[in-house]
Amino acid sequence: MAKAFRASAGIMLAPAVTLIGVFVLVPMLLTIWLCFQDWSTQTPFSEASFVGLGNFQEIFGSTSVGRDFKTALLNTTIYTALSVVLILPLSVVFGLLVYQREVAGGTALRTVLFSTYMVPMIAVALVWSKLYSPSEGPLNQMLGLVGIGPQPWLSSPRSALVSIVLLNVWQQVGYFTVLAIAGLTQIPGSLYEAATLDGANGREQFRFITLPLLRRTLLFSAVIAIINAVQVFEPVALITQGGPVGSTNVLTYHIRRVGIERAQGGLGSAMAVMLMLSLIVCVSALFALVNRRDSE
Amino acid sequence: MSLAWISKLTLAAGLVALPVTGWAQSVNISYLTHWSPETVALLEAAAKDFSKQNPDVAVTVRAVPFGDLLTTLRSQGGSSDGPTIGGIYDLWLPELAKDKLVAPAPDAVASEVKSAWPAGVVSAASVGGTLYGIPNEIDVYALNYNKELFKAAGIAAPPKTWAEFKDVAAKLTDKDKGQQGFGMINSWAAGVVHPFASLLVSNGGNLVKDGKPALDSPQAGETFALYEDLIKSGASVPAMATADANTTGPFLDNFVSGKTGMIIMANWWESALKTGMGDKFANVATAPIPVGPSGDKPHSISYSWMTVVNAKAGEAEQKAAWQFLGWLNSPKSGKNGASAMSDILMSMGILPSRSSDIEAHKDKLGSEFLSGYVSVLADARPFPVVLGGQEFSESLQQTLEALQYGQVSAKDAQANAQADATSILERAAK
Repeated sequence: MAKAFRASAGIMLAPAVTLIGVFVLVPMLLTIWLCFQDWSTQTPFSEASFVGLGNFQEIFGSTSVGRDFKTALLNTTIYTALSVVLILPLSVVFGLLVYQREVAGGTALRTVLFSTYMVPMIAVALVWSKLYSPSEGPLNQMLGLVGIGPQPWLSSPRSALVSIVLLNVWQQVGYFTVLAIAGLTQIPGSLYEAATLDGANGREQFRFITLPLLRRTLLFSAVIAIINAVQVFEPVALITQGGPVGSTNVLTYHIRRVGIERAQGGLGSAMAVMLMLSLIVCVSALFALVNRRDSE
Repeated sequence: MSLAWISKLTLAAGLVALPVTGWAQSVNISYLTHWSPETVALLEAAAKDFSKQNPDVAVTVRAVPFGDLLTTLRSQGGSSDGPTIGGIYDLWLPELAKDKLVAPAPDAVASEVKSAWPAGVVSAASVGGTLYGIPNEIDVYALNYNKELFKAAGIAAPPKTWAEFKDVAAKLTDKDKGQQGFGMINSWAAGVVHPFASLLVSNGGNLVKDGKPALDSPQAGETFALYEDLIKSGASVPAMATADANTTGPFLDNFVSGKTGMIIMANWWESALKTGMGDKFANVATAPIPVGPSGDKPHSISYSWMTVVNAKAGEAEQKAAWQFLGWLNSPKSGKNGASAMSDILMSMGILPSRSSDIEAHKDKLGSEFLSGYVSVLADARPFPVVLGGQEFSESLQQTLEALQYGQVSAKDAQANAQADATSILERAAK
């Protein structure tokens, strides 16, 4: 009986497992194999030659290859950290604002907030590159009205990455607000009623009821926000091309330049593996932190 | 006749006509370019003319932004379904040929090109003596300046030496008006490297000499120092220099709006200037690159573009592609003895490279803007076409941008540029 059950379970699982194996595991394993090879993306795999850890030595070395990779890794880290730090609190704030049942037009507000997420990145990039224009950009014109001088935005290595982060936050915050609202709906209203009877004010209710019970939602949001941020590509490719001085050169864009444009498949794979490892470490650390707090 | 009979007869006629139609358009070839929609329309019109004479060949044109052109060629060119023809920058040719992505030109095409184009242009389209593409455009750098701003600053003539250049740049700079004397470019490899290289060759130096980087020369040191001086004096403002993926952006906006006095750019941006400036385009003049303290006379950098054929395309497609390119670049396809390709190029202000095209467009090449470029062509030095050239160019771009933004000194920039170039070219040559 158990044998028959196992056989039928195997048959039922086979299509999904095969698809995952072919389209997820094989490319991942291939990338890991390629990171130890010297290989041009324009040649067959059979022409790859084993170089051991040579590609990793190169990407962490002191030559331009290493410098550019380390800059791209740092840029990606800053971009991800800033995006998450801005998106999560904003999504909770907007979620709380929109979730107030007594506020008229809450659904319309949710729709407006979510709509930014539905706008294609090409349109967002076109509009924001004009908004950021140093001379005729509306942002600088508005700042001028309140007596603030023109800002360089995308034209300075100091502000270009932050400008791209702001664009990302604008586009993504609606989606995370919807997630926050979904989390808020799971909190029983009776807890707030009890807290009110016990004399807890709004701030205390937020700190001791809302935030702790939103923890799982926020963990999910943080993981998704990190993954989205690490994969940033379009605004860089469409607006800044990684400049100026490589200040917006993020890893996905850099891997594309090295792996496809220069056809250095081995180096590109080593960079992709490092990106994957960084993401795994980061997300695992986040889960471990939340689980430890839960067990405490 | 009933409706059913009419339907049957129509269907039968359609079935009879189908193989004929299919045979009439039996070869489909595609052409990948980075040109603007207006220029693509001209190429499509030329392709239509070709198909009228050759009904068995259909040509479709596809355009991508310049920033995506090489990536598209690399990612799609390795397949028979990829673009049959690609317009490429000569710097990319050695690696595309090494990776066998581009097909050698057939003997008939090669001999035609060798006899009809200048030898220097033919060599830029060849690797190891084998011709891979039909050259079309040649671009050269010169100094563009705004005559109105010169007049307002009391400057009578464009600078001839670096000393005059620095002096004029300082006079043209007006911080209160947000005006810079000399406009640099950043965030675009060729836009950063080519003007620097033009100043370097005008100072008697070279980027690469005998296949090895020559950025450690005293002439290169003086060129890095010139950049540092221009930035430190405020005559060049890096925040006004940014370019976007379409090779436009603030650097262009600042020149067309009269906020940049001088800039070093190639002839192809004539159409962008005309679009941006309208009647004020008449204020733009062209002059040779100022000569540095170690230079003998004005020199600048030139580079060429060519059309290549996908080596992985089918035999019939390759044959049709060479046939189309041969026609497109021949004196028979355009107006008044010019090629259709040169007519398309001239619509953008780009210099054609075929000798007969230069003769056919003599009048237009004599315009105030273009004649300045034509006059410096003879003393222009081709941008070095070497294996690893694109990576070398991108690396030098990073170093120059770091210098522009004051992140490194001229001395450190020179040392970094030489060390990076040495390691890149050595690795590429392996």
